[in-house]
Amino acid sequence: MDERFTLELRDISFSYPARERRQNFSLAVKHFVPSGQCTAIMGENGSGKTTLGKLAAGLLRPDAGCVLYDGEDIAGWKLGQIGRQVGYLFQEPSRQLFTPRPLEELSFAQKLRGVPQDEAEDKATELLRQFELEHIKDNTTYTLSRGEKQRLAIAAAMVAQPRFFVLDEPTTGLDKRRRGILAETLHSLMSKNVGILLISHDCAFVDEMQADIRIMDGGGLVDA
Amino acid sequence: MTRKLQRTVRLPDPRVVFALAFVLSSFAVVIRGNLWLMIGLMAVSLLCAVCIGVDFRQMWRRLRRLLQLLLIVSILRSVFAPSGTILLELWGVQILTVGGIQIGALVLLRLGLFITSGAMFTCYSVRVLIQGMVQIKMPYELAYMVSVGVRFIPQLAEELKDSLTALQLRGVVIEELKLKKKLSLYTYLILPVIVSSMQNAKELAMSMEMRAFRAERNRTSFYALSLKPSDIVMLCGILAFTILMGVILIVGVDIF
Ligand SMILES: Nc1ncnc2c1ncn2[C@@H]1O[C@H](COP(=O)(O)OP(=O)(O)OP(=O)(O)O)[C@@H](O)[C@H]1O
Ligand SMILES: [Mg+2]
Repeated sequence: MDERFTLELRDISFSYPARERRQNFSLAVKHFVPSGQCTAIMGENGSGKTTLGKLAAGLLRPDAGCVLYDGEDIAGWKLGQIGRQVGYLFQEPSRQLFTPRPLEELSFAQKLRGVPQDEAEDKATELLRQFELEHIKDNTTYTLSRGEKQRLAIAAAMVAQPRFFVLDEPTTGLDKRRRGILAETLHSLMSKNVGILLISHDCAFVDEMQADIRIMDGGGLVDA
Repeated sequence: MTRKLQRTVRLPDPRVVFALAFVLSSFAVVIRGNLWLMIGLMAVSLLCAVCIGVDFRQMWRRLRRLLQLLLIVSILRSVFAPSGTILLELWGVQILTVGGIQIGALVLLRLGLFITSGAMFTCYSVRVLIQGMVQIKMPYELAYMVSVGVRFIPQLAEELKDSLTALQLRGVVIEELKLKKKLSLYTYLILPVIVSSMQNAKELAMSMEMRAFRAERNRTSFYALSLKPSDIVMLCGILAFTILMGVILIVGVDIF
């Protein structure tokens, strides 16, 4: 991971499929390149932060314009290929937890990709330790507390070692100490040249990450 | 919903449709090997569905995919369970036989009957259906459960889609996987959906109890169904039809 990953959004416009009697949300972003190592997107509820993050991670495809990874248009990429470059943390943690045991949660995707069992489990254990989840590694995933689920989901997003992260409100449900640990983890990722797009309402955390702040309002980025 | 409620005034009583759907789908299960009888039954059920006002174009659009699959199944059955006159033979393998087509057609018709029976309910609003279930003495809780279950279906579909996306974002390229791994992947997908729906159900139940659902033994209803003379005629018709079919099946009258 030597080369810094560059993400670029160019002349993006997007709107959710119209349904009758519903007000339609549309997003328009002329040009957006996360400038620093960590860029924070802030703004009111419903201003389109999550939508922007999903567009950046290829989860939603823009109606017009393009998303470029290292200068390459991702329009034709498969989600799995995107996932190897960019990690994405959903705002809702329970939708991205798949297995009954936390340890398996961190190892199964690697196994599906052909990583040998031992190696996958070593890495999973290491991540569990890092996020202080070791003691519950054999509990039931679905009955974990909100904050434990959140940490597990973050750890799971890190397994594939992507070069860029889109984190949608990663601090929701975390206590003060765990927020500190998350900040540390993210800082150490940044020192390995991994870029971060942080969507958050948590001013203190954004400060702690020394992020460049961009504000969203009504589906557009407010000029910096 | 109110418009649908008004429209249902002109439809037969939902209880008539319950009876009809019950009779049709029971015969669909009972009839074996008698293709002509099955075709007759299908014709009757289509006729009923048209009279009730099932929107066939919409139904067709929804079921087209499923029907394609069924067609493949029926061809497979004629390849692997060949019998009767051979219609098409390639390199010594019987591709299409009369017997095989008959079996395939039976399977198709059976599922078709289930689908048309179910589709008849789509003309009614959920409120009317619950009332119908309650008035045939089905426990209110059970009737309510059915309606809540129906409400969750689109949500489940949404969740399944989200989970699939999340899984791919872990760097798994589904198209590259071998079949065995692909199958294990689907088990990973189904689990969270089941768990989350169970949690949803539990939370819904709790919040309903907190709002005094079931505090009284019986829930009164402003809206009540009553059988019109035309409904009674239809019920008699269904009864007569059932007896006729029963006689044909038991005595084995070979009317065709
Ligand atoms: N799948 C969807 N279909 C239709 N509209 C949607 C969909 N998802 C989001 N929206 C709408 O798009 C708008 C922006 O939503 P978005 O989730 O991007 O907001 P947000 O800035 O992330 O808000 P929050 O701070 O609450 O997370 C909202 O008005 C929402 O109703
Ligand atoms: Mg959001």
